[in-house]
Amino acid sequence: MILITINGKKIELDGPVTIFEAARRNGIDIPSLCHHPALELWGGCRMCLVEIEKMPRLQTSCTVKAADGMAVYTETPRVVAARKAMLEFLLINHPLQCPTCDKAGECALQDLTVRYGAVAGRFEEGKRTFPENVDDPVIVRNMERCIMCTRCVRMCDGVQGAFAIGVVGRGAGSHVEPFSGGRYNCEYCGNCLNVCPVGAIMSRLHRYTYRPWQMDKTVKTICSFCGVGCTILLEVRGDAIQKVSPAFGKGVNNGLLCGRGMFGYGYAGSPERLKTPLVRKDGKLVPASWDEALALAARRLLEVKAQHGGRAIAGIAGGRCTNEENYAFQKFMRAGLGSNNIDSTARLGLLHAQDLLEGIFGQGAAANVIRGIPHSDAVLVVACDPTRTNPVMGLQVRAASKAGKKVVAIGHAPGLKRHMTHHLSAAFGHEGIALAGLLRELLRQKKALPGENPEFEAAIMGFSELPSPEEVRRLAGVPEAALTQAAEALKDVSTSSIIAGRELAASMDAKRNFMLLAAIGYVLNSRFFLVSEHPNEQGLIDMGCTPDMLPGGRPLALQTFRERCEHEWGARLDPEPGLTLMEMFEQAGGAIRAMYIMGENPAFNLPGRKKIKEALEKKLDFLVVQDIFLTETASLADVVLPSKAWSEKEGTYTNLEKRIQKLAQATGKNHEAGMEDWRILALIGRLAGLGNMPYASASDIIDEIARVSPLHAGLRYEDLEEDGMMWPYKGKPLRMSGGMQPLPAAKAAATLDRREEDTGQTGPALVIEKPLFHSGSLSRHSGALLDIMGGPEAKMAPGTAAGLGICEGGSVKISTAEGEMVLKAKLEKGLPAGAIFAGNNFGDAGALGLFGYELEPGSKTPVPRAEGLEITPL
Amino acid sequence: MTEPQPFSPKSVALLEEIRKKYPTGRAALMPALYVAQEEFGWLRPEALKAVAEFLGLPEMTVRSTATFYSMYRHRKAGRNVIRLCTNVSCMVLGAGTLKGVLGNVYGLAPGGTSPDGRFSLEVADCIGACGKGPAMIVNDDLHTGLDAKKILEVLENYK
Amino acid sequence: MTSYLLDVARNRNIEEYEKAGGYQGLGKALFMEPGQVVEEVKKSGLRGRGGAGFPTGMKWMFMASDPKSPRYIVCNADEGEPGTFKDKALIDKNPHVLLEGMAIAGHALMAGLGYIYLRAEYPEERGILEAALKEARAKGYLGENVMGSGKKFDIHVHMGAGAYICGEETALIDSLEGKRGQPRLKPPFPVNSGLWGMPTMVNNVETLSNLPFIMREGALRYAGIGDPSCPGNKLFPVSGHVERPGVYELPMGTPLREIIYEHAGGIKNGKALKAVIPGGISAPVLAPDQIDCPMDFVSVQKAGSMLGSGAVMVFDEDTCIVRVALRTLEFFEHESCGKCTPCREGTGWLKAILERIETKQGHGGDIQLLEDVCRNIAGNTFCPLGDGAASAALGFIRHFREEFTEHIRSGCRYHREQGQAQP
Repeated sequence: MILITINGKKIELDGPVTIFEAARRNGIDIPSLCHHPALELWGGCRMCLVEIEKMPRLQTSCTVKAADGMAVYTETPRVVAARKAMLEFLLINHPLQCPTCDKAGECALQDLTVRYGAVAGRFEEGKRTFPENVDDPVIVRNMERCIMCTRCVRMCDGVQGAFAIGVVGRGAGSHVEPFSGGRYNCEYCGNCLNVCPVGAIMSRLHRYTYRPWQMDKTVKTICSFCGVGCTILLEVRGDAIQKVSPAFGKGVNNGLLCGRGMFGYGYAGSPERLKTPLVRKDGKLVPASWDEALALAARRLLEVKAQHGGRAIAGIAGGRCTNEENYAFQKFMRAGLGSNNIDSTARLGLLHAQDLLEGIFGQGAAANVIRGIPHSDAVLVVACDPTRTNPVMGLQVRAASKAGKKVVAIGHAPGLKRHMTHHLSAAFGHEGIALAGLLRELLRQKKALPGENPEFEAAIMGFSELPSPEEVRRLAGVPEAALTQAAEALKDVSTSSIIAGRELAASMDAKRNFMLLAAIGYVLNSRFFLVSEHPNEQGLIDMGCTPDMLPGGRPLALQTFRERCEHEWGARLDPEPGLTLMEMFEQAGGAIRAMYIMGENPAFNLPGRKKIKEALEKKLDFLVVQDIFLTETASLADVVLPSKAWSEKEGTYTNLEKRIQKLAQATGKNHEAGMEDWRILALIGRLAGLGNMPYASASDIIDEIARVSPLHAGLRYEDLEEDGMMWPYKGKPLRMSGGMQPLPAAKAAATLDRREEDTGQTGPALVIEKPLFHSGSLSRHSGALLDIMGGPEAKMAPGTAAGLGICEGGSVKISTAEGEMVLKAKLEKGLPAGAIFAGNNFGDAGALGLFGYELEPGSKTPVPRAEGLEITPL
Repeated sequence: MTEPQPFSPKSVALLEEIRKKYPTGRAALMPALYVAQEEFGWLRPEALKAVAEFLGLPEMTVRSTATFYSMYRHRKAGRNVIRLCTNVSCMVLGAGTLKGVLGNVYGLAPGGTSPDGRFSLEVADCIGACGKGPAMIVNDDLHTGLDAKKILEVLENYK
Repeated sequence: MTSYLLDVARNRNIEEYEKAGGYQGLGKALFMEPGQVVEEVKKSGLRGRGGAGFPTGMKWMFMASDPKSPRYIVCNADEGEPGTFKDKALIDKNPHVLLEGMAIAGHALMAGLGYIYLRAEYPEERGILEAALKEARAKGYLGENVMGSGKKFDIHVHMGAGAYICGEETALIDSLEGKRGQPRLKPPFPVNSGLWGMPTMVNNVETLSNLPFIMREGALRYAGIGDPSCPGNKLFPVSGHVERPGVYELPMGTPLREIIYEHAGGIKNGKALKAVIPGGISAPVLAPDQIDCPMDFVSVQKAGSMLGSGAVMVFDEDTCIVRVALRTLEFFEHESCGKCTPCREGTGWLKAILERIETKQGHGGDIQLLEDVCRNIAGNTFCPLGDGAASAALGFIRHFREEFTEHIRSGCRYHREQGQAQP
């Protein structure tokens, strides 16, 4: 216990904290410009000087730890004089451009000048001048206004780990800029400008469009881009989002954001949004009234049901839709149309990965807290780059690295280049071999297994034919030393985190891969994290948007769960599981006659695009699509129903931690164009006399979910107000972890298939690039993200390009059995040899269109294949 | 398929020698910058990039460090770099006059380069020759006890 | 008087150094336990010669009690304080005394590696040190097995790149790590968390060079030299308007008058003394009536200045003090690292005011403003650089206020008299 006084007030502290922090906790405000709770201590601005008894000099309260018996005074005449002096120093060179500075009104320097009293300037010479830099499309720098607090640089280096900006020069000539001095070449997280206390680094997105005090409201909500579920603040004026702000101290992200979250919000206000429902007339989509479109949809669905039965209709739910909407969707399909043909893009890997993990460790095996990652002794990243797919989770890996923890990456993870201690550079699709090799080395080097579960350990020891480092090098291209050293680094950790990508599950070897992952996880006492590309991908699974599971992860096959739903929904349920995602398209025109797609774009987001498009366009009798844009899929529909963007509705998302978080409606209150997805479903249901959806609001639905799903039992919106609620909420999981049971089939599968060929170093390989700035359907309607990265490209290492006769900026034709595409070549050092990276983010050039697929037999997960790949320079 | 190496073999050898003296690549940065300055003439962006690549450091980190120190050149310099001390001890012995001489004879202004590219002039803050001031360092050579005549004689030897 | 630092005829050569008793101190130290060596240094009463005068033995004890390893010895040879050229002279004449001192420190503090952080402006000394290191390694005084003791100690020379602030030990460490040389927060102190977070001893060239004598002759003999509160010899570099500028090795506490008038031969051309800076440019100037002050840490402080590096800068009656002040502040503005507000903004402001006074553009209130700005800097900065700038400026005003007033009223008399152009 530490006892101090601040301004005579007695303060008890249970641990050593700075005086600044002690004061803050006790409601005593000490001003500061350079201090920020998310950043390393600096002590440069000298605004937080305080007087401490028995210390002759004033002390910076942000750096001095409170010690027992200290008597601190924060506003004595001496302190106030010093602060006035610091403000005078700062203002001698700071231009008084407040009338034209966007920061005025929320500028710390301005506020402090008001607080301590503005005085006539005594500085007679000219101020330092520095031309404003507008070379960058997103970030504008005004270094005359910079007060050299270095928050931005400490954010970029110490937290973001991007090392993209730095202080250049020395003394009064210091300023902050990127390497180029002009445009940024960075991750565009925007965290630098979010910590700038003055108007030195600002967003161009809303430049000169408003004054901060003109904002109508600030709404705390959840980001709509990926599965991390960052808490953000939407600043709203009129009915438009003016900017996204961080909420430091709150949420999964504690104020940190990524490029998509920070700058990508523009899609919600895009002029390309659907403005009315569309119906197909004479082969063309034409605007229609809601009444007409809804009536048509209801009538045609009823007709198909009457003619072919409910099982002839298939539905695809959306990972960007809320839990409430996805719940309503599967209920509409099951209870209304009588079909269990419900699936989603969670089928592309997340669902299978989760099933495999939960099959071993029990339900909730991957429900772990992202902010705990840096607290484990080691992080193992497998077949993913969390810094791209789930950027803020990636920051936690970087934080672990900064804290001196071991970070081992298996596979391509460019965003961890400077942040990993060990890299097992397995060739694409061969990460499982590296896993097997790593397990073998761990078992060889480790003194003893934990001993917690003898049965499981016996199974691990029973794995046969784990490959030697030499074999791993030959089969997966991982150098022997890297493997043995990684095992050496990992063998003694007491806790660890494993982050796995969906590609590990979208593989013919998925079972083996996860068996190995589970074994390593057991040996290293790991918590698992599965990367997730959509904000509510987990919610799709939990809400029952799968052919064989009901809400709450309850099997459809079990009568008791069916009865629970039947009772609530007032309808009989088909006990037979429905078709999976790819099967729906495969059977279109046969067993499947109509499809209902909500907030998903399968004509773009799935492999086998050619056949899917053909199915949607030619083989179905009827296709309904709900979306906010006229997507590739929507443009093939018979009825297109405009829905609301994430900022325009209430509801909940479940993130990859299985944390349920609440969205808040910020805009679009009177947005006539779109309706919430659940409302559209309820209206069609009412018109068609299907389903039982008397909802007036999203909260009516969550109340129903709480009744139907044992996992969500008793859940209410009020429970979600602060930082949401972690799994298992107030409900019951089906089977708690601890009941680890290695499945015999998986055990057998955990041996290495010796038929695997040497790594395909013989020819080039096509890899789907997952860029930081685009996710696909939404991001390409965001002006800022398009400014940052405007179009598709084929990235490869200079050596790879040279071998193929390709030069920087040249056109490259990529062709496969599925089709062909011409992209501009971009050479980037450090990419794996032989790999050609192309993204699936831009309309005419989604590289997934070059992939066919094969189904993993058990899970029906499509495993993408680029058959007959040819790369030709043009 | 190796990338072209921006450093000459001689510089690479030097850099490898330097790298061995420190436990981290970052610590080898300052001596490596000198090597790059020698090789590229001044620390132009390609030089900074080459150092970053060699030591495995972010480019921005290299630039930020390089611009802190006054001995690294961030613009093209003349063939010979004069560092004339004008700090107090040399100043009271007449260093200010010498600055004027260099301006008149070679057209040199502090921070500038003579029109013929022969000299660059940096005003130095004490070069530790206060006992024999005024003094200057030309390239790596110290010259002391200067006056208006001697400074020109000395500089005649630098072409 | 015993001279053990400089009064050795240019003995760069290791054989000459050995003949004069060189490396015997190291040999003796290696026979002792590291803790005993630390104890011996403590007993000697040696105080740091870098400027602050902190007792070296105590600093060593702080590091000795931290068990972390690896550990480092860093020699601060970033002699940036204008007017100071003693370390340069020491390295020029007697490089081995420094290497031996570092090796003794390495043994005492259980460090295996040392770095000499040498000023960029000293390329010649780099060559001298590299040659001396080669000799010492060849003779087994450095390397894998120091004098057959089984202990490892080697030294690398690291060149600075022109930044005065790197003379501050934490800035020096950051610089040595390849960073911008800005001072670190303290605590933790380098003795616990220095280079790469490991225990690190940063000592000045002159401090380290005292160690061979202490070890060879014993702490008691050393403690008997000069002022008992601060024993040993001190190097005094003397520059400016004196007949014989140079570095003088004298007992600590030698009066300033003796240094100027006896050793340095008095004021050049028989002129009168106008002012003297006793400890490098950061030390406030002293007036002629103060030169009976003994040159030790306490006495100089009592006189209103500081001993600092011991660099004596002498100005004759024809010196324009405003111009000296301006040049001083130009220096501080140029060398301010930019980390903290008062130093970054304040030094430039002081320079600007002095500039206008010197160019006859000053006006009433300027002296008051100078004093105000100085007071707003002093005590509020992150490190002593800003304090030094403010106290140097205040020193000039304190003793020569009239000259400032006259400048504002009628311009610079010295320029007029000497027919010089205004700067």
